[in-house]
Amino acid sequence: MTTTVVTRVKNRAANTPDQIAMRAKDFGIWQEVSWAQYWANVELVGDALLSLGLQPGDRVAIHSENRREWLYADLGVVAARGITVGLYPTNPASEVAYLLSHSGARILIAEDQEQVDKALLVLEDTPDLEWIVYLEPRGIKGRYDNPKLLWWDDFLAMGARYRDSHGDELAARMARTSPDDVMTLIYTSGTTGPPKGAMLTVANVEFAVHVLVEGGGFTSPPPSSTDVTLSYLPLCHVAERIFTTWFSAASGVQVHFAESIETVQANLREVQPTILFGVPRIWEKVLAGVTIGVSSASWLKRSVTRFWLRRAESIGTTLVRTGGEHTGSSRVTYALGWLFCFRALKARIGMRYVRYASSGAAPIAPDVLKFFMGIGVPMHEVYGMTENTAVATGNRPGRVKVGTVGEPQPGIELRIDEETGEILTRHGGTFAGYWRDPEATSRVVTDGWLHTGDVGEWVDGTHVKITDRMKDIIITAGGKNIAPSELENALKTSPYIKEAVVIGDQRAYLVALIGIEYETVGHWAQQRKLPYTTYRDLSEKPEVLELVQTIVTEVNAKFASVEQIKKFRMFPKELDHEDGELTATQKVKRSALGKMFDDLVESMYG
Amino acid sequence: MKGRPELYTSYAQDMAFLNTRPKRAWTGGLVILALVLPFAITDDLLQLLATGFVAAIGAIGLNIVTGYAGQVSLGHAFFLAIGAYTGAALSGSETGRVIGFGITSLPIWLLASGLVAAFFGVLVAPVAVRLRGLYLAIVTLGLVFLGEHVFREWTSLTGGPGVGRPAAVPELFGVRLDQDNAVFTAAQQLYLVMFVLLVIFGVLARNLVRSRVGRAFAAVRDRDLAASVIGVDLTKYKVLAFAVSSFYAGVAGALLFVMNGFFDPGSFSLLLSVQYIAMVLIGGAGTISGAIMGALFITLLPRITRELPAVLPFISGDATGAVTVFQVEAVLYGVLIIVFLIVEPRGLFGIWVRVRNYWRTWPFSY
Repeated sequence: MTTTVVTRVKNRAANTPDQIAMRAKDFGIWQEVSWAQYWANVELVGDALLSLGLQPGDRVAIHSENRREWLYADLGVVAARGITVGLYPTNPASEVAYLLSHSGARILIAEDQEQVDKALLVLEDTPDLEWIVYLEPRGIKGRYDNPKLLWWDDFLAMGARYRDSHGDELAARMARTSPDDVMTLIYTSGTTGPPKGAMLTVANVEFAVHVLVEGGGFTSPPPSSTDVTLSYLPLCHVAERIFTTWFSAASGVQVHFAESIETVQANLREVQPTILFGVPRIWEKVLAGVTIGVSSASWLKRSVTRFWLRRAESIGTTLVRTGGEHTGSSRVTYALGWLFCFRALKARIGMRYVRYASSGAAPIAPDVLKFFMGIGVPMHEVYGMTENTAVATGNRPGRVKVGTVGEPQPGIELRIDEETGEILTRHGGTFAGYWRDPEATSRVVTDGWLHTGDVGEWVDGTHVKITDRMKDIIITAGGKNIAPSELENALKTSPYIKEAVVIGDQRAYLVALIGIEYETVGHWAQQRKLPYTTYRDLSEKPEVLELVQTIVTEVNAKFASVEQIKKFRMFPKELDHEDGELTATQKVKRSALGKMFDDLVESMYG
Repeated sequence: MKGRPELYTSYAQDMAFLNTRPKRAWTGGLVILALVLPFAITDDLLQLLATGFVAAIGAIGLNIVTGYAGQVSLGHAFFLAIGAYTGAALSGSETGRVIGFGITSLPIWLLASGLVAAFFGVLVAPVAVRLRGLYLAIVTLGLVFLGEHVFREWTSLTGGPGVGRPAAVPELFGVRLDQDNAVFTAAQQLYLVMFVLLVIFGVLARNLVRSRVGRAFAAVRDRDLAASVIGVDLTKYKVLAFAVSSFYAGVAGALLFVMNGFFDPGSFSLLLSVQYIAMVLIGGAGTISGAIMGALFITLLPRITRELPAVLPFISGDATGAVTVFQVEAVLYGVLIIVFLIVEPRGLFGIWVRVRNYWRTWPFSY
C-alpha cells in the first residue's frame, strides 16, 4: 500500500492508540484527542464522503480556522482519494466564489455561520457545489433551510451508517491510492493576479515529509512524540500544513490548536511549544510586545531587563558570528542572564522550551532574528514555496548564517540562474502543475526545474541569500537595481511600524508608504499624553510623523545614498485582506496598493 | 503536561486544591514551621498562637458567610457564645452553681457545639433570605443583644456576669490536654491540637468554596438576582452559608476559652463581633488564607502593643496614665480597619497577592 499521511495516522492509531495526538481548548480546558480517536474520526469522514458519492479526484473545500475537524476532514478526504482545497478564513465572498468555482469543489466544509453565509451568497457562481457541511450549528441549524446544508454531526452519522451497510469500503479505496494521486490544491496567495491552485501529489508530500520532517530539514534533530507545537497560522498554507498535519502524522508531535490568531500570545504561554514556526509578522509582533512590556514596567524591572537585553544583543551578535554556537564567555553571560531575565522572559512569551524556532514564508529583518537568538530562542530562517512543497533551503543548528535562508536541503538540486539570478530547484517535491492552468505551469517548470521567481545569490558557496521577489525588484530612473524588501524589513524591525512599502520603479528616487502599528504607537502616544481618536488621526499627528521620520533616518543611515528613502507618506487606514490590500497570508499586494494610493505616491514626486 | 502549569486538561486540574508548585512548596514549608515552633518558643507565646488558630477557625466561618456569600453578619459573637456554652456545659462537671454533663471527650463536645450553633444559624437564615445589606446587619446585630441578655440571666448555664464558669474540658484519648504530662507541656499540647484542628477546618472550608457550593456563594454575593437567574437556589444557599458559618463559629467558640480555662458572659459583646469582622477585613474578604492571616494578626496585636511602653516611655503599661496601652490598642484597631478599607481592600491576602504578582510578571509589570 502506498504510504500517505493517512496511513501514517492509521499506523500510529494501531501502535500508540492512547498517546495524545492533539489538544484543543473548549471552555478553558484543553481537550485531548488520542491517536485512536483521531483515526476514528478520519475514518468517519472518509465513510461519510463515500456515502455522498465522492469519486477519486473530486475536490472537497475546507473553509475554517485551525481546529480538530480541519485535520479529520483533510485526512478523510485523502483517505477517500479526494483532493483537499483549503480556503483562508479571511477570504471574502468574492474570493470564495473564485476558489470554489475554479477548483470545482463538490463539497464544502465550512466552519460556522460566517463562512456558510459567504458560500450561500455565491451559490450561483459555484455550480459544482453539492453539499455545504457546517461544523458549528449556531445560527444555522433550524434557521437555514437550504437543501445543500448538512450538519457535521449528521454528516459523521451518515459515515457510520455507510460503514454498517457497506463494510470497509474505505480501506479498499485507500489501498488503490497511487503516488501520483493529487492530494491537495494549495492556492498561492497571488500578489499579482488571481490565486493559482498548486497540485501536490501523494509523492510530493511524502518527499517533503521525508526531507523536512524525518530528515530534520525544518527541525533538527527531527521531531518526535515528545515535541509540542501550536497550530495558529492558516492550515491552507503549505507551511502550517507541514508543521501541523504532516509533522504530527509523520513523527507524532502533539499539536495544540490556538483559539484564534488574537489569542496566540496567551496560548503560547499555556502551551509552551518546543517547536515553533512563525511568519516574520508574528516574530515582529512578539518583539514589539517585549519592547512595550519593558518600557511600561516598573523602574527596577525595567532597568534589570534593559541591562540583560543589552547583554542579549551582544550574545546575539556573537551567535550570529559563530553560526549559533556559544563561545565560552557568551555561555557564561547567557547563564547569568537566564537566571535574572531570560528564563522568565521566555516563559512570558511562551518560548521557554522552544528548541527549534523557524521563520519563513516572507523575508525577515536580521535584527529580529538576532534578538531571539540572543535571549536563547534558537532561530532558523527557512525557505521554500508551495510549488516545491516547501523543500528548498534551511539554516541548520550551529551553521546559521543570518541574512541567508540557509543551505539547500540534502538530496535536492538547487541552482541559481547565472543570467537572471533566479533560484531554481529540482527534486521529488516539485508540484504536478497548476490546477486547470497548464500554460502557467509550463512557465514555471522547464526540464523539471522549478523557477521560484526569487532572486538570490550564494554566500560562502554554501548558503543562499535571497535578494527579493523577481518582479518586486525596483529599477530606478538612474538604472540602479534595488531590492525593496531589505529596506522594508529594516523599517519593520521598529516596533512602531507595521507595514512599509517602498516605491520607486522608473522614478528618480525612492519613496515609501508606511503604516504604523496601532497598538504600540497608541501606547507611545498615551505615554506622551497625546490625544487621538482613530488610526488615521493617530498616523497623521505631527509627533507621530516625527517619530516615523527618525526611524526612517536611522534606517537610511545603513544604506547607500541611492537606496535611501527620500520621502514617505502614511497609510490612511490599516491594510486589510477584505479590502484587497493584503493577500490572505498578510502580504501586501504591491500592484493594488500602487493604484489605490496613487495620489499619495504622486504627491511625493510632485 | 509537565512544565506547563497554565495548560489545563481537565477541570479537576484547574480547580485542584494546591494547583501550582509554589503553592505546594509554601504550604508545606508553613506546616513544617508550625510543627517545629512549639519546641522553639515559650509557652505564653504558644498559648497566644493557639488562641490565634482558634480565632482563625471562627474567622473562616465568618468569611464563608460574609466574604464568600456576601451576607453581612454582625451576629458572630452570638454563635461563638452558643458554641462556648454548649461545649462548656457538655464537658464541665455539675457543681451546683453551674450545670455540666461531664462528657469530656473533645471530638464529641466539639461536634455538638458546632451542630447546636449551626441549628441557630439555620433558624436565623430565613431572615437573610428576605433581607439584604444593612437590614441584615441590623437583624444580626439584634442577635448579639438578645444573646447578651439571655446569657446574663441564665446563671445556671453561664455562672452570671462578673463570675463566669470554667471553659470546656479538653480531653483526647484519655489525655487531659490542659495539664502538663511527661512529654509535652499543656501549652504545647493545646497548640498542636488547635493547629491540627485549624488545618482540618481550613482544608474543609477551602474544599467547600472551590466546589459548586462555593461558586454558588460567590454568585449570590456578586448579585443575588443574577444568581437566581442562572439557577442558584437563593434560599438553599443562604441557609447553607449561615449553617456552615455558625458551625465554624460554634467550634471556635467552644475552643476559644480552653486556653484560659474560664470565661464570663460579658465576653460575647458586640466588640467580639467587630473583632471578627476586623479579622476578615484585614486578612482579606473571600479568602481562607486571608482569614487565617487576619485572625493571627488581630490576636497578636495586643501582644505587640504591650511592648510599646518599653520603646515609647510616655505610654503607660497599666490602666493609669494619660496614654495607656489599652487606648493605643483601641486606636490602632480602628486606624487599621480604616487604612485597610481605603488602601488595601483585599487585606493582608491582597498584599501577598501583590507581592506574588510582582515576581510572577517578571520581567514585565503586567
